[in-house]
Amino acid sequence: MENLGSISLLVGFCLSLYAVAASAAGGWKRNAFLVESSRRAVYAVWVLVTAASAALVGALLADDFRFAYVASNSNRSLAAAYKFAAWWGGQEGSLLFWNWVLASYAALVVRLRRTHDALTPWVTATLMATQGFFLLLNAFVASPFRMLAVGRGITEVPDGTGLNPLLQHWAMIIHPPVLYLGYVGFTVPFAFAVASLAARQPGHEWIHLTRRWTIVTWLFQGGGILLGAAWAYAVLGWGGYWGWDPVENASLLPWLTATAFLHSVMMQERRGMMKIWNVVLISCTFLLSILGTFLTRSGVVSSVHAFGKSPLGSYFVVFLGLALAVTIYLILSRLEYLKPEARLQSVVSRESSFLLNGLILLLVCFAILWGTLYPLISEVFSGEKMTVGPPYFNRVNIPAGLFLLLLTGIGPLVAWRRASPDSLRRNFLWPLAAALVLAAGLFAAGVRHPYALVSFGLCLFVTWTIGSEFYRGARAIQARTRQNLPAAAVELARRNTRRHGGYIVHLGVVLMFVGFTGSAFNQEATVELKPAAQARLGHYELRLASVRPVENENYAGQTALVEVSQNGRPLGSLRPERRLYKSGGQTTSNVAIRRGLTEDLYLNFAGLSEDNQRAVLQAYVFPLVSWIWIGSVVLVLGGCICLVPSAKPGHSRTGSGGAESPHPEGTRAEARPTRH
Amino acid sequence: MITVAAVILAVGALVFTVMVRAGDVLEAEPSAPSNPDEERLAALEESLRDLEFEQRVGKLSEADYQQTRQDLEREMAQFQARIGGGVTQPAVEARVATALVCPHCGASFPTALKFCGECGRPMRRNTP
Repeated sequence: MENLGSISLLVGFCLSLYAVAASAAGGWKRNAFLVESSRRAVYAVWVLVTAASAALVGALLADDFRFAYVASNSNRSLAAAYKFAAWWGGQEGSLLFWNWVLASYAALVVRLRRTHDALTPWVTATLMATQGFFLLLNAFVASPFRMLAVGRGITEVPDGTGLNPLLQHWAMIIHPPVLYLGYVGFTVPFAFAVASLAARQPGHEWIHLTRRWTIVTWLFQGGGILLGAAWAYAVLGWGGYWGWDPVENASLLPWLTATAFLHSVMMQERRGMMKIWNVVLISCTFLLSILGTFLTRSGVVSSVHAFGKSPLGSYFVVFLGLALAVTIYLILSRLEYLKPEARLQSVVSRESSFLLNGLILLLVCFAILWGTLYPLISEVFSGEKMTVGPPYFNRVNIPAGLFLLLLTGIGPLVAWRRASPDSLRRNFLWPLAAALVLAAGLFAAGVRHPYALVSFGLCLFVTWTIGSEFYRGARAIQARTRQNLPAAAVELARRNTRRHGGYIVHLGVVLMFVGFTGSAFNQEATVELKPAAQARLGHYELRLASVRPVENENYAGQTALVEVSQNGRPLGSLRPERRLYKSGGQTTSNVAIRRGLTEDLYLNFAGLSEDNQRAVLQAYVFPLVSWIWIGSVVLVLGGCICLVPSAKPGHSRTGSGGAESPHPEGTRAEARPTRH
Repeated sequence: MITVAAVILAVGALVFTVMVRAGDVLEAEPSAPSNPDEERLAALEESLRDLEFEQRVGKLSEADYQQTRQDLEREMAQFQARIGGGVTQPAVEARVATALVCPHCGASFPTALKFCGECGRPMRRNTP
């Protein structure tokens, strides 16, 4: 099996280099044979990387402990699902998974581009250059097919050290693949942007071609980040879903620039503006996704999510430098094709709000990048590694995030080109009044946290503006079709899925902000309880009923049975666990959470006291945290709606023939057969 | 056995990649798949439809609506003249001015429209 994997990776690497050369030469000389050959090379690379992946997964499932990777990332007692997940549980395997995702994306792209045009060869060249880099790492630097050996003979160990216990959680089975689908997926719109520059194409065809790709990969990246947050909340034992960890930050950076890109492409499509800005944004997104991979895999930053020290760092630095140089050269040499077709007509306009939105997102991105890289920079210049903690990130990002939330409410309601005070009054008077009334009411009720007051007020403001968009549009349709209001609202969304799906994404963001704001009111206590003893946190009474041993073939430990009541009324019991994993000897906590819409009660069994008589319990109350997860679902739902083609004018399902809603961003793209 | 399979796979991949026959080559697409002027004109038409809708649901003041509509129609006339090749701007504006009643659904409008605010279809049956 090891030979199958190694040979496949080696040949795959050679073919990816061939694909770069053949597609570039084919595009340059307009040689259809070379272009077709490069397309075939993409398919061949996919087959080879799939074969290598199958070899590794086969070894994991078969407990083949001759493989160093299997021995250090799996063990016999591991459940089959976790053995499969060990494919991306370690450095070498996750690189192979990365390669497989990229090869799959590349094969899909060439499969969907069934014609020879000016763009496709350069798209193929960019995708395969990236593929070649990652296959180089997998084939020569971090191979998952390294065998355990004594002298010159292959040997094996009786059992592996197992998958990291922290990774043995359902969210960890799907979090890395979803995140990788995002990270890797950003290569595709970047490849189309590079191709557009290389082929000297004016216009914005590359944006039409990649619009859905970008939304899909943006959704995967966001979904992956949120799954990681859900995992951290449920597994790490301190109740945090976001800790401004360098690797967490690294995953957020490309998502932020992609968010800015998704908004500013509308400026280019509608007004022919911001062409350079859009190319820069998608290039930044790609480069930041590579930077994030570098931070995770090189060992240069300390993180619970990072792999250990590895020799990969210098390779990433060289690749990043080359990609940056090529991108800058292409942009500077093609400036004449990136001239704007219109100018900003008014400071108060939709265009300005998009511009401001992009600038704030980039500012946030830079602040996070600076805080993430500062320990490295300080070490280089002063020899001392200075850490940057959550206070810095919160000080910068909370006000910036609230301002972005405000723009989320303002942007969609400000008219294109210009908005007079009268138009602003029509759209913002009532939402603003409602927000102020809510903030004043909360203040009167005793809420004194300034950010919480502003955040709750803005959440209502944005919800009101989104609601008014749906209500007014639905009323207009209702007047023509005599549908009921909910049906008219669905019809409205159907007629411009991109716009109204976007509003639902905004609503998801609002719900998540409600959850974030709840953290201003967190409560916590650490108590040591003997059996039958009680403690109190907030309005909960906690009674330790018992501490019992628990054991299976994977781990041994203890379970604390805690009865929860409120004002004497029993609410049930929670069972936090303390586990010792047999294969690696690592101790972990399995927290117990009583989830609710208003708050979560979160219990972590930290172990027994020194005299072994009392259970040490860390208890937390997290208000509104469930709204983060609800908002995440709404956000993904809205993103999925954006992907649905809009109904065409005059093809209403109601048969009325009335297209009350225009189709400003949706229908034209759907009409193009080669778009994806 | 596995090694033999690996070698066969590798050789097969190489042969599949380089053995391209004339019949395998896909047809070339026209060299200019998109026309920036047409893209721009389509975007202006969408903007006009959007403007009509926003005015109807009460999002815009009358002054903003009128001024933006004039801007859009002027830009559309310029682009139509450029794409139409030789069609003068006054002629285009005159053509737009006659488009007050939708030939498809019969809806009438106080102002000239490129596309019907009711059914969304073009306000002219044929575009010469």
